[in-house]
Amino acid sequence: MNAHTGTIRGKERYRSGVMEYKRMGYWEPDYVPKDTDVIALFRVTPQDGVDPIEASAAVAGESSTATWTVVWTDRLTAAEKYRAKCYRVDEVPGSPGQYFAYIAYDLDLFEPGSIANLTASIIGNVFGFKPLKALRLEDMRLPVAYVKTFQGPATGIVVERERLDKFGRPLLGATIKPKLGLSGRNYGRVVYEALKGGLDFTKDDENINSQPFMHWRDRFLYCMEGVNRAQAASGEVKGTYLNVTAATMEDMYERAEFAKELGSCVVMIDLVIGYTAIQSMAKWARRNDIILHLHRAGHSTYTRQKSHGVSFRVIAKWMRLAGVDHIHAGTVVGKLEGDPNTTRGYYDICREDFNPLKLEHGIFFEQSWASLNKLMPVASGGIHAGQMHQLLDLLGEDVVLQFGGGTIGHPMGIQAGATANRVALEAMILARNEGRDYVHEGPEILAKAAQTCTPLKAALDVWKDVTFNYQSTDTPDFVPTALAAV
Amino acid sequence: MKLTQGCFSFLPDLTDDQIYKQVQYCLAKGWAVNIEFTDDPHPRNTYWEMWGLPMFDLQDAAGVMLELKECRRVYGDRYIRISGFDSSHGWESAKISFIVNRPPQETEFELVRHEVAGRAVRYTTVRRPAPPTAP
Amino acid sequence: MLDLPHAKDADAGELPAAFDLRKEAEAAGITETLGQLDQELIGLKPVKSRVRQIASLLLIERIRQRAGLVSAPPTLHMSFTGNPGTGKTTVALRMAKILHGLGFVRRGQVISVTRDDLVGQYIGHTAPKTKEILKKAMGGVLFIDEAYYLHRPDNERDYGQEAIEILLQVMENQREDLVVILAGYGERMTSFFASNPGFRSRIAHHIEFPDYSEAELLVIAELMLRERGYKFDASAREAFARYIALRRTQPFFSNARSIRNAVDRIRLRQADRLVSDLDRMLDIADLETIDSADVLASRVFSGGLIAGGGPAGSTD
Repeated sequence: MNAHTGTIRGKERYRSGVMEYKRMGYWEPDYVPKDTDVIALFRVTPQDGVDPIEASAAVAGESSTATWTVVWTDRLTAAEKYRAKCYRVDEVPGSPGQYFAYIAYDLDLFEPGSIANLTASIIGNVFGFKPLKALRLEDMRLPVAYVKTFQGPATGIVVERERLDKFGRPLLGATIKPKLGLSGRNYGRVVYEALKGGLDFTKDDENINSQPFMHWRDRFLYCMEGVNRAQAASGEVKGTYLNVTAATMEDMYERAEFAKELGSCVVMIDLVIGYTAIQSMAKWARRNDIILHLHRAGHSTYTRQKSHGVSFRVIAKWMRLAGVDHIHAGTVVGKLEGDPNTTRGYYDICREDFNPLKLEHGIFFEQSWASLNKLMPVASGGIHAGQMHQLLDLLGEDVVLQFGGGTIGHPMGIQAGATANRVALEAMILARNEGRDYVHEGPEILAKAAQTCTPLKAALDVWKDVTFNYQSTDTPDFVPTALAAV
Repeated sequence: MKLTQGCFSFLPDLTDDQIYKQVQYCLAKGWAVNIEFTDDPHPRNTYWEMWGLPMFDLQDAAGVMLELKECRRVYGDRYIRISGFDSSHGWESAKISFIVNRPPQETEFELVRHEVAGRAVRYTTVRRPAPPTAP
Repeated sequence: MLDLPHAKDADAGELPAAFDLRKEAEAAGITETLGQLDQELIGLKPVKSRVRQIASLLLIERIRQRAGLVSAPPTLHMSFTGNPGTGKTTVALRMAKILHGLGFVRRGQVISVTRDDLVGQYIGHTAPKTKEILKKAMGGVLFIDEAYYLHRPDNERDYGQEAIEILLQVMENQREDLVVILAGYGERMTSFFASNPGFRSRIAHHIEFPDYSEAELLVIAELMLRERGYKFDASAREAFARYIALRRTQPFFSNARSIRNAVDRIRLRQADRLVSDLDRMLDIADLETIDSADVLASRVFSGGLIAGGGPAGSTD
């Protein structure tokens, strides 16, 4: 498939009219990407009858210098350098009609340190291009030279842990429920109860901003009363993600400043505020010693379907560059989409300094993060204390486990719910560190811990059979196969 | 009030056998192990007093237990914690920290509220004075 | 005192009615370790049979513990006496492996020290130094070479005494946490034990390391050469046999260590001989052969060392 079709060069290349993309220099199978190139991997589904090479070359063209016809003004530029080059097209295993197109972009195509500029190119016009049925951005390789132009996470996992004085275990959180309708005063009550019971964080939900039932200042004031009360009652640092998402940057800064004045250690934003607003808030967070939590509200509209959109692993990479400290990255066992291997890939992108190529986790490129801070993944949605051994095994230690319903829905109350989660977690860490096979002995370890903790016993009884076993839609295309012995 | 800092504060106090195993976990990971003590466990008090230098290159947790025993003999009426420090690139910080000794009477904190502009309050966490003991 | 996690694990579960000795020995790796020792050390028959005896005793002790016939942890501290270069350090490494294989020590590392590592220069310096070493040796073997230097009978305020007291305490109270091996020259160790009865009573096993015979030393030399890709020709071999006989009578002789030094010097002289004639072509035989001239140029043949000369073995 990857044969050269012959790029037209010289004067002929710029003769007026329409020319195939693959002959305009957007298909260069002999091209070897430079260390400084940005590389994108697209899943291309061409319209029936469209040559996959031509479709892939068109993606390269439309995401870089091309327009539908030849323009003479190209000849005023170093056009060859600026043309994105598709250099490899593979059939997607097990998905007829779909192709993986590898496209390399010269670093000069992008403004340093700007996600908005990067995305305007890579996912700009091209996703609506008619000759394609569907297009998905699967993965990107970001060269170190480019990574170094970004701030990266404002705080990072290590410093976050140092500030909180919490090491060696996942952090525990809960989203305040019901997510809409509580007054500020009632809302703060839930914060206090959950934190005093043993959680490290509570969290506003994505759509808690400033509504008629609770305006933002009221929420902030009552929440901080709860945080400070819980801190004094436990001697432990506590926090609540105050959502500063608002209509304008000015509003967001105002809310963030107020959160800081009140002594909050963390604020929160939603993905829907847009990349530029996220980067602005990341810079604000770095300047003000505040942890920045990102709720990935809206991402499933373009990440979930395998044929069209942007993979979440790419969003995770952009967010690590953009500089948030927390990102929701899936639970595997909870109520929201999350294939274990694909999720593992997201977590590695957030937490490692170097990602090796790992097709079975959906990682198509080696990626060096060049000492950019690590991004704390957050697991939230339909998880409970009875799954602690699985969560620890699947998600590791550097993660925030958010037990919203699993705390607030506890039959003995919110404090008891929080305590149940914390005891379950500590018992599991203790057992793991002692070298026990905690994954298999998990239920036994929890039952033992519940003997001296009634809230945990109650939690295990209530939620013992709750699981969400549905087919994932976003799974890796590659499975590891054992090499046959000869 | 039970001070709930550290990795295992919601479990019953660890036995020496349990502490030994956690320390051995640290040593197996190649972390340096540090013993610290304080009579001021305020959540913002980062720097507890060090009981000697962090212990590098030990093979067996018995060495740490030896120091813990000594530290308890001298400062048994204070909080003592053990932490494991990972020097590998990209971390270079503590990887675990847990309390291994508590004073007979735990420290209590209370909140001092200072009302400022509008409805805002400045909070300060302060140590609650010990109740007067009967003569 | 700490619970010993590993020993406890071994006690867990049901007791078998009978113990398969071969299986037990193989599981602990004893057969393998003793075989290794045989290969590594030329001769030393009495040492090897002593090690074998101790290994057997430990194996049986471990089985007896599991059978519930004994409960107290055994004393395992040892003394190795003999002249320098007689294999004490090598045997200590293998002994640590045996102890570890049987679960008498938890990690099996050997920390090798002398007085300077344990004893400080001023008040308050010794205890932390000794403790630092002890902490590193926990779970393994602490090998104290020339242990008698800890004790200075002529100076009763010597800081060595402080190290001795800490050592004795740990040897008594933390028998499950580490094994101490005291090593040094035979007579000096004897008088050390005489003036420090605390040590003598805590030592369970003594091993004496005799000097190597001349024939054994020659085999050792040939082995060392082979490892380095050399060999004696017939005349050199004969010359080296004479070298050994002479060297043994001279000061600072330290058995295998002296032989190693001699071999290194012979290699230098061979290279010097080859390079002195730049116009010749060398073949493989030239490169690997030591001839008698390389051996005979040693000062040992011209009256040997001047009295009060350099440190042991340095002028072989």
